[in-house]
Amino acid sequence: MTLDIESGIRRPKIDMHCHVWLMDGWEQSADHLVASGDMLGITEYWCSSVIQQGILAPFEDVPPHNDTILSAMARHPKRIRGWCFLIPGHFQDAIDEAERCLDAGMIGIKLYNQYRIDDPVLHPILELASERRVPILQHAGYPVPEHRASQPLISHGIHFSEASEKYPDAILIHAHIGGGGDWEHTVREMRQASPNVYIDVSGSNLDDGQVEYAVSELGVERVLFGTDGTMAGSVGKVLDADLTEDEREHIFWTNAERILAQQGATPTELRIGN
Amino acid sequence: MLIDVNAWLGTWPFRSLRDNTPDTLVARLDRSGIDKAVVSYIEAAFHRHPQSANERLARDVEPHGDRLIPVGTINPLSPHWEDDLTSCIDRGMKGIRLFPQYHNFQTDGTESRSVVQACAQCNLPVFIPHRLEDTRQHHWMDPGQSVDLAQIANLIAAVPDAAIIIPNARPLARSPLWMREDLRDLNWYFDLSLAEIHYGLHKSTNAMKDLGYLIEEGGANHILFGTHLPFSYAGPALVKLAILPVDEETLEDIKYRTAAKLLSL
Repeated sequence: MTLDIESGIRRPKIDMHCHVWLMDGWEQSADHLVASGDMLGITEYWCSSVIQQGILAPFEDVPPHNDTILSAMARHPKRIRGWCFLIPGHFQDAIDEAERCLDAGMIGIKLYNQYRIDDPVLHPILELASERRVPILQHAGYPVPEHRASQPLISHGIHFSEASEKYPDAILIHAHIGGGGDWEHTVREMRQASPNVYIDVSGSNLDDGQVEYAVSELGVERVLFGTDGTMAGSVGKVLDADLTEDEREHIFWTNAERILAQQGATPTELRIGN
Repeated sequence: MLIDVNAWLGTWPFRSLRDNTPDTLVARLDRSGIDKAVVSYIEAAFHRHPQSANERLARDVEPHGDRLIPVGTINPLSPHWEDDLTSCIDRGMKGIRLFPQYHNFQTDGTESRSVVQACAQCNLPVFIPHRLEDTRQHHWMDPGQSVDLAQIANLIAAVPDAAIIIPNARPLARSPLWMREDLRDLNWYFDLSLAEIHYGLHKSTNAMKDLGYLIEEGGANHILFGTHLPFSYAGPALVKLAILPVDEETLEDIKYRTAAKLLSL
């Protein structure tokens, strides 16, 4: 059977991993993101703005990132939802910031590479996330040593497995299977992880077989659709993956919908045909 | 008609690929709605003297002559590479591939220029893949390097009559190649396999859309359709083709007309 790209593009999708950045012109960037989604059937984006490169910035630097996301949510309430970025080492300030953002309508917590997901400093955040039934999306991957040097505390599969052993109810998402690195390695490490541990398909690496591998190792209910800015690439890899239409639907929609349901939320738009 | 200028046969030493034989690749092309694909053997990148891989390629694609377009590999450091080039032409190869990062020569160096000049004289396009695999995951036995697009720009400037195709490249619009305005009227091409059109992971409104800017800035005639099968999914390139912001005539050029001309089909 020939790939039906046209109808695949039109089918509704929830992009649970994307960004609107704290920068001059974020409004233009957010508008452009939404317009790009129109072309690819993406009905909503879950966005964050993060401090990268493992920088342990002072707490005062964090809220402006989240405020940008809250502004983007207000600008596009039907299309943009928010991840609250935190640096766990800010302890109570981080918890207070999470409460502020979640109370303002964000749907989860975003962590970058300041700490690994199994670091004890994260325990209060994992407890909060478990209690409020919100997911944690953590930047992750298993890059080669020269690429790991710039982010020595990047998490990979084994860290998710260990964190989920201690907090099996926490909804943990390993970001971007295609984010760069040995994706087979990091996925294999999560074989024994809690069923609440997910992975998303985003990233610029478009290796053939990647999506099927995640599905075979973790089960289709634990694979989420995200782009991280690789928009057509991420849509294309799921459309081209050797999966049933039902499995594709889990990735594009149902799994994200189920994560929202745990906190009493629903997709911003009803799926066409529902 | 759809021509893929970026496909492969054979074995990648560091990860199992599927659909990497002539029969299975053709089946994958069928599934993807692709009519023809330019192919080389991956192994040729690792062979010091790739001519035996070229000969095998010519034999293996023969039963699929209407679908698979063979492109030979030349190592400019292999003695008498000129004979290999002649043999490739005699065997019906429609282009030549260079691997500076695997055969260990400078992209814009003397050896490289000699091959490109010889190909230009024979009206053969030269394919220089920007990378074979994402360098962030490279095996320790793989050089894990992308070709420097600034050096490719130098090569194009040095051999302006040549046709040079750079598959699997990213970024494009802010690359040192596109920034060389003096080269914009020459015969060089990117493909759709890797770069994004509308939105990318950039903290700048100036770098938000890679292929999108290339098109807006007049570079649509430098784009060809390519997938990087079977390393990569074909879906990403097919999705981009479906949403590419170009007119009908330009789209036909990208889908097959420019490639057919370059490959003398």
